[in-house]
Amino acid sequence: MYHYLEEELQQLTNKILKMGSLVEEQLNLAVKALFESNLEYAKQVIEQDDKIDKYDVKIDKLCQRIFALTQPVAVDLRIILSALKTNNDLERMGDIAVNIAERAEPLKSHLELLRNVGMDLMAEKVRLMVSKTLDSIVNNDPDMALSVIKADDVIDKLERDIFHKLIDLMEKDASVIRPCAHCITLLRHFERIADHATNIAEEVVFLVDAKIIKHRKNLDDLDSNAEKII
Amino acid sequence: MTKTKETKITTKKLNLFYGKKNALKDVDIQINSNKVTALIGPSGCGKSTFLRTLNRMNDLINGVKITGDIQIDDEDIYSNKTDIVALRRKVGMIFQKSNPFPKSIYENVAYGARINGINKKEWLDDIVETSLKRAAIWDEVKDRLKEMATGLSGGQQQRVCIARTLAVNPEVILMDEPASALDPISTSKIEELIFTLKNNITIVIVTHNMQQAARVSDVTGFFLNGELIEYDSTRKIFTSPNDERTQNYITGKFG
Repeated sequence: MYHYLEEELQQLTNKILKMGSLVEEQLNLAVKALFESNLEYAKQVIEQDDKIDKYDVKIDKLCQRIFALTQPVAVDLRIILSALKTNNDLERMGDIAVNIAERAEPLKSHLELLRNVGMDLMAEKVRLMVSKTLDSIVNNDPDMALSVIKADDVIDKLERDIFHKLIDLMEKDASVIRPCAHCITLLRHFERIADHATNIAEEVVFLVDAKIIKHRKNLDDLDSNAEKII
Repeated sequence: MTKTKETKITTKKLNLFYGKKNALKDVDIQINSNKVTALIGPSGCGKSTFLRTLNRMNDLINGVKITGDIQIDDEDIYSNKTDIVALRRKVGMIFQKSNPFPKSIYENVAYGARINGINKKEWLDDIVETSLKRAAIWDEVKDRLKEMATGLSGGQQQRVCIARTLAVNPEVILMDEPASALDPISTSKIEELIFTLKNNITIVIVTHNMQQAARVSDVTGFFLNGELIEYDSTRKIFTSPNDERTQNYITGKFG
């Protein structure tokens, strides 16, 4: 009985990791499409989203099967609960990667604007955050997960800074309103990806330590070895 | 867990030996009133042995030696002064295999009252009806009270046995795998019954069915090799137990 469950849970973890690396690849390609004005890459991202959606359904079905057949408890139950939520967040991240790729076309002659407001920095930090989130899943590492959660504040601050820069630019020069409006949407996409990464990191803490930390304002009491990652 | 006014049963440094075998090792436990306490653990871990110490059923086995304290309502049940008949009236027991007497349904339930000297028909009728109702089987047997209890289905027999136990107004009921020989529908009837009974009775249940322990109990104790490894709210035990051995057992890694 147990071996069956063990194999199913291993399969579930593998699927989450594969889906995670697909999402990471999609995000990387979308960022490349954007900053290299490469519409071929953008098209690839849009076409490949299908793969992520298929994982989403596979993982849901697998979780359903494990629940129905094995009635898991304790850590086994947490693995499945966190997989279900992580799956949800990864799927959303995949959709947002598509949204980012879709900005490559309208912003293709505005690379300088992107760099001037610091969008490249934003993209880099969000990519790093996503990569560390996946590391925390692979290694079952709540400290790394907490580092990710703390990094979200950096992203939020950066978002506000870039937002104000864009407003200033538009106030000064009405001719940049159109690209700047695209940038505001783009900014929001990056910020949302960081939020989903944070949600996943919270699930890693739940899975390993059985603690529910989402919606908490202060995480200082967790006595972690979290490091600054971005 | 510390002793409070809700505590019904307390054991301290309870040890039990079958000859040389130390079957219970320093068991300290506090069982609360009007709660369902489930005892889980692999076969031979001591959970049934422990259960049977609570109404001195082990006294009937040769070569058993018990040390330590067991108090029920602050009374040492192993003291020389203990009236064992009164103890077993207060602490009733239900076994895995239903064991109705080869008598009518009515006489099974009236038995305890009769040996306690109640012979008035109206009183007995009342006790039988109330007890069968409390055991959630009245509607199924009210028209055939004079039939043999042994002719009922397994699940019905078990509920008649529960009615027989209830008829003498116990304060504690010990259940040793009460549903393991029953089909799922009878099992869920017994589980619902446990849920209603705990309003005024303290229930201690031994079960191999982990889902059943999770469903019916408020508190769970995990036994391994005669030791009480972990004792906590059922919610805690089945979501994030403290001891790795508990986690390994409830997730099916051994046992």
